[in-house]
Amino acid sequence: MDDMRTQEMVSALADGELRGDAFARAVDVAASDADARHAWHTYHLIGDVLRSGEAGAGAVPDRFLTRLQARLRDEQRPAAAAVSPEAFRMAARVSQQPRPAAAANDGNFRWKVLAGVASLTAIGTVAWSLSAAPASGGAAQLARTDGSAVLANTQRGVMIRDARLDELLAAHRQMGGASVLPAPAGFLRNAAFEGPAR
Amino acid sequence: MGVRRSSKLNLAGRGIAILWLAGTAAWACAQSASNAAAPQQPASQRGAERSVSDWLMRMHQASRVRSYIGTFVVSSNAGSLASARIWHACDGDQQVERVESLTGAPRSTFRRNEEVVTFLPERHVVRTERQEPLATFPNLLQASDSSIPEFYGARQVGSDRVAGFDADVVQLEPKDNLRFGYRIWSEKRSGLVIKLQTLDGEGHVLEQTAFSELALDAPVSMEKINRMMAAPPGWRVEKLDTPKTSAAAEGWQLKMPVAGFKPVSCHRRPGAGSDGMVQWIFSDGLAAVSLFLEPYDRVRHVQEGIFAAGATQTLTQRIQEWWLTAVGEVPSQTLKAFAQNLERRN
Repeated sequence: MDDMRTQEMVSALADGELRGDAFARAVDVAASDADARHAWHTYHLIGDVLRSGEAGAGAVPDRFLTRLQARLRDEQRPAAAAVSPEAFRMAARVSQQPRPAAAANDGNFRWKVLAGVASLTAIGTVAWSLSAAPASGGAAQLARTDGSAVLANTQRGVMIRDARLDELLAAHRQMGGASVLPAPAGFLRNAAFEGPAR
Repeated sequence: MGVRRSSKLNLAGRGIAILWLAGTAAWACAQSASNAAAPQQPASQRGAERSVSDWLMRMHQASRVRSYIGTFVVSSNAGSLASARIWHACDGDQQVERVESLTGAPRSTFRRNEEVVTFLPERHVVRTERQEPLATFPNLLQASDSSIPEFYGARQVGSDRVAGFDADVVQLEPKDNLRFGYRIWSEKRSGLVIKLQTLDGEGHVLEQTAFSELALDAPVSMEKINRMMAAPPGWRVEKLDTPKTSAAAEGWQLKMPVAGFKPVSCHRRPGAGSDGMVQWIFSDGLAAVSLFLEPYDRVRHVQEGIFAAGATQTLTQRIQEWWLTAVGEVPSQTLKAFAQNLERRN
């Protein structure tokens, strides 16, 4: 009976029907009672399926939390003390990093993907530099630019794409489109690298 | 800010090429007629024998005399994908074009010969630019001066169908490692380019552009496009000024030319610094390289290197008290060769 009562309460809570004391009581129960939490999850899953036609993702939070806690306990790292609020903040920051970049600007993402390509390019560059300058002993020396031509830092290979570079790329395509290849090629290229609105 | 928009959003890049090519058309027709064993035969019957110049002239001619409406898509090996709708009309001496972007920020670009107008509806801004007058371009296809046959070979590699049209597939192969190759789908009857791939030294596709849908010889009203080029009331008009200059006058020269690449033009552009910057443009006929030169700024100019995006490579490098940004649809070693040969004369 009591169980039934709990489930109804959680159901009402999940539907947003409770106010005031009833709401506070239901939250207390849902927070303290494992069965209630289970019901809470189930109702949301049902709601998700009804609303979207797709199965709501996720597992019962208890199981996940229990496993997480167990794993954290098992973690035998020397820097156990590192599981501090600061460490959590750091982890959160790290895990959040890629998201704003990808969402805010596809262009950035593209350059990130290009890191691989760019480092290949860098290898090509180094190889080329070596053959062009036999005295050169390797990457370290390449960095010792004498002002004439040898590139430094190509191993990093990743450039933060900024407005200035965008402008030059567009100017190149615009003014430097000195090719006999027909117009759509130029249009297309510019269109492609315009990318989404920034 | 205005400057950035001006250069960034203008789509009509390659339009110029077509126009100055028009000037060479008459020459090339005469040339191919004298070269061909049977000059009376229509070009379509001797496809396999066409030289690289024949192919390029045929493709160019098609875009000069055929009207079309189509949707084209461009994708790069970096995963970017964009599309636009194009209306193209011509009547011999006038070419007009309207391009509506279908991805990213909405914008329309109109081109009437070398006049380019870009509409940015979100900002209620109209940008106008004038392209390089045709006479100043070297005739890259002309026999005495042309580097194209010297640096590229052409061979037909088969037939294919694109956007419902039968096409000849032509491979333009570079004869050295200072340029990329191209695979071009040229519509069989008109010669119009309906698909184009840029290939690296190993034959990997760096970038691809293609019509996904095309109505050739569609009725496109030149007059209507012309009317649409007028700025609507209430919109702001921005004009980008890029006066012509010369590399010598700006104090720059190349110790040695980079094989196949000839200087095309040189302009002053507004830049972040008070002095602005110089854009020195080279072309081998198919690929272009821009050298942007501006005074070195230790705050902004921090990262030297080579970077790739699709077929476009970018090199940044400090040269004494100057900063070079070289951009081109060429392998990175080509940009390195430019950087190595660039010299400041004081």
